[in-house]
Amino acid sequence: MNLAKYPIKEVNFEDKNYPAGLKELKKPPKKLFYRGNIDQKLFEKSLAIVGTRRATQYGRQVTEKLTAALVTAKVTIISGFMYGIDTEAHRQCLEYGGRTVAVLGSGLNIIYPPENEALYEQILAKKGAIMAEYPADTQPQLWTFPQRNRLVAALASLGVLIIEAGAKSGSLITSRLARQLGRKIFAVPGPITAATSIGTNLLIKTHQAKMVTEVTDILGGKIESPNLFADQKLTGLEAKISQLLASEPLMADELVKATGENIVNVSKTLSLMSLKGLIEEVSGKFYLARATLRTSSS
Amino acid sequence: MLTKVLSAAHFGLETIPVEVEVNVAKKGFPGFSIIGLPNKAVEEAKERVRTALVNSGIDFPEAKIIVNLAPADIPKEGSCYDLPIAIGILNSLGLTRLPAEKSFFYGELSLDGSLRHTKGVFLLALAAGALQVKNLFVPALSANEAAVIKKVNIYPVKHLQQLLAHLLQTEPIQKLSPADRAKPQSSLEAEFDFREILGQDQAKRALEIAAAGGHNLLMQGPPGSGKTMLARALPGILPDLNDQESLEVTKIYSVTGNIPPGGSLITKRPFRAIHHTATRAGLIGGGAPPHPGEISLAHCGVLFLDELPEFSRSDLEALRQPLEDGTVSLSRASGSVTFPAQFTLIAAANPCPCGFLTDPQKECHCTPRQIQNYQSRLSGPLLDRIDLHINVPAVPVERIIPNRISSQTKPPRAESSKQIKKRVLVARRRQTKRFAKLPLHTNAEMKNKHIEKFCVLSDPAYQLLKQAMNSYHLSTRAFFRLIKVSRTIADLADNEKIDHSHVAEALQYRLRVPEK
Repeated sequence: MNLAKYPIKEVNFEDKNYPAGLKELKKPPKKLFYRGNIDQKLFEKSLAIVGTRRATQYGRQVTEKLTAALVTAKVTIISGFMYGIDTEAHRQCLEYGGRTVAVLGSGLNIIYPPENEALYEQILAKKGAIMAEYPADTQPQLWTFPQRNRLVAALASLGVLIIEAGAKSGSLITSRLARQLGRKIFAVPGPITAATSIGTNLLIKTHQAKMVTEVTDILGGKIESPNLFADQKLTGLEAKISQLLASEPLMADELVKATGENIVNVSKTLSLMSLKGLIEEVSGKFYLARATLRTSSS
Repeated sequence: MLTKVLSAAHFGLETIPVEVEVNVAKKGFPGFSIIGLPNKAVEEAKERVRTALVNSGIDFPEAKIIVNLAPADIPKEGSCYDLPIAIGILNSLGLTRLPAEKSFFYGELSLDGSLRHTKGVFLLALAAGALQVKNLFVPALSANEAAVIKKVNIYPVKHLQQLLAHLLQTEPIQKLSPADRAKPQSSLEAEFDFREILGQDQAKRALEIAAAGGHNLLMQGPPGSGKTMLARALPGILPDLNDQESLEVTKIYSVTGNIPPGGSLITKRPFRAIHHTATRAGLIGGGAPPHPGEISLAHCGVLFLDELPEFSRSDLEALRQPLEDGTVSLSRASGSVTFPAQFTLIAAANPCPCGFLTDPQKECHCTPRQIQNYQSRLSGPLLDRIDLHINVPAVPVERIIPNRISSQTKPPRAESSKQIKKRVLVARRRQTKRFAKLPLHTNAEMKNKHIEKFCVLSDPAYQLLKQAMNSYHLSTRAFFRLIKVSRTIADLADNEKIDHSHVAEALQYRLRVPEK
């Protein structure tokens, strides 16, 4: 990876382009290291998207759906570069052509998690920034991640969106810090049986967070989504399957039971639907494609 | 006096005639020694023969006895030389007469003089047929193995004294009659019928395709989802062995001592379930001289590897050559041996180290890195040789229990193994016809040139395949795998032309490369 193109820069508390949001912290970092470019405009309309490291397919799907709309509204996405929802938020933001800021829990020369090396470079290539309050070669520690969370919360002008969070998720720390700073907190509800949604559901239940099911819940107003699959014609079994999948993801065997068709027909139809882009599959489970979902919700 | 008795040694699956030379000399110090590269089991024949003779009422001579197993430079192993040595000593003492025609003596003695079940009798009978040896004196418990070889007289021997009476022509042993040699009906049944397995339609269909086309199959799913049960039900839908296959399988089973006492020709396809603690020699074959391993015992049948990622990487690598060639070569300083190993691989794997990654109820405690490491153990060339990939979901208890205990709701009737087997046989018949002039048996064995010749795709089928190549980023190898599976699906439907619905179904069983 060629990082020479993106030298490490420093910004001091007194400097002009020191992010304004950070000044609201009780103990703001005196010095901030970063690669890429930061300016006040970058943080003007910014939202932190955080969540569990163990993102489910649901979490990824929601992240893409919301990020896509946020990027359209020119919102900068801030997150913590960790695997799971963080990575997904950065990635989807870049995918849709947005700018994103990653705040590391280590020094800027330590890429953790290492799987995200390519993402690191992409964020910089697409005019985003990567920042940290630790010197370049600092290894991440258990305590650096919660510390980093306070920067994530402070940088986000629009507030913090929590996609998925377990009972003891670090995202809940971020939400607490954000509340102390007076930032708005948004949370996406999840199935009450999902371990990865206990935290977010609790935030909503106790009125600590605003429930988000679409992007207008964050930005207000109305945003149009393109209707991609309105003209798709569905055959009998296809229609039946997409109806079933609209309420919950199912496995092939479950579809056999629910439709009363045999496995040969179901398999064949699933392949064809998948090639048409109507459904997606992750480890044996079939989901309505995200594009299809977007249409049905609008 | 010197006596020569004919017996045999096995090297790999080859049988070499061995002359057992016994010299009983009245001069010199009394003693008993065996030469001609005997191993420990042969060495101990001294004690067995001595005691068996004494317990059969024969005075063991106070003389210098030397036994030479010729040719002397081939290592001999096993207990099959007990009988020829005993007969040699008795003949040297003038207590018996050897038959005028060439005869094989072969078998292990018990201390009371009776004969025990001895491995390798089937190979001995084959050799007797080839070498024009007229008579075969083998333990009664092993005689059935030899029964299919028609040209040879087979004398089932129960006891040393019985054999003496026969050789002295006081009371002849009944040789095996043609009625005894009728083709045996083996009663080996599969452990489970497909009807007993609830749900799992996709897995069952995948097994059906695997059985029909000889495709290798990998099942992934959380523990308790029924992967093992599914695999164990597979023998019930496999076609019976044909005569040639039966012969090949019986050879291997005979030489490894896997035919039970009284057993004969093997007609059911073998099913070998191997645990990952198996040694390399046990799995692939090995030892000096080499013995067949489990993959050869699974020849013409099914090799079931549970918990596939738990097998050591080198063991899995060692499976590659047999999966490709259908044979396994074991090279030793003393020579190399090739055993057949044309098996269908059925493998099961958990999705992650703890197993619960895809389980809807239990939480998985593995880190992404652990999961990646676990799954990457299976990556690469081995997966490339597996045509069918499926996820086996955990079936929630409540889906099974109410059907069972409430009398109102009748459990849904699943198809029985018998019904499925019918379709499998249809597909196999098409393949037998197709490959009549080729050294192939099943669709899975097709190479690219055969695919071009035998897999005619309809236009929509070809377009679908091309579309799938693009959307799923399939490799060329995956492309050919898909066609092979489509071929089998079309065969199951008794169609010569591969239609787009066959390809569409085959796509469900492709190898999914995990994103990121």
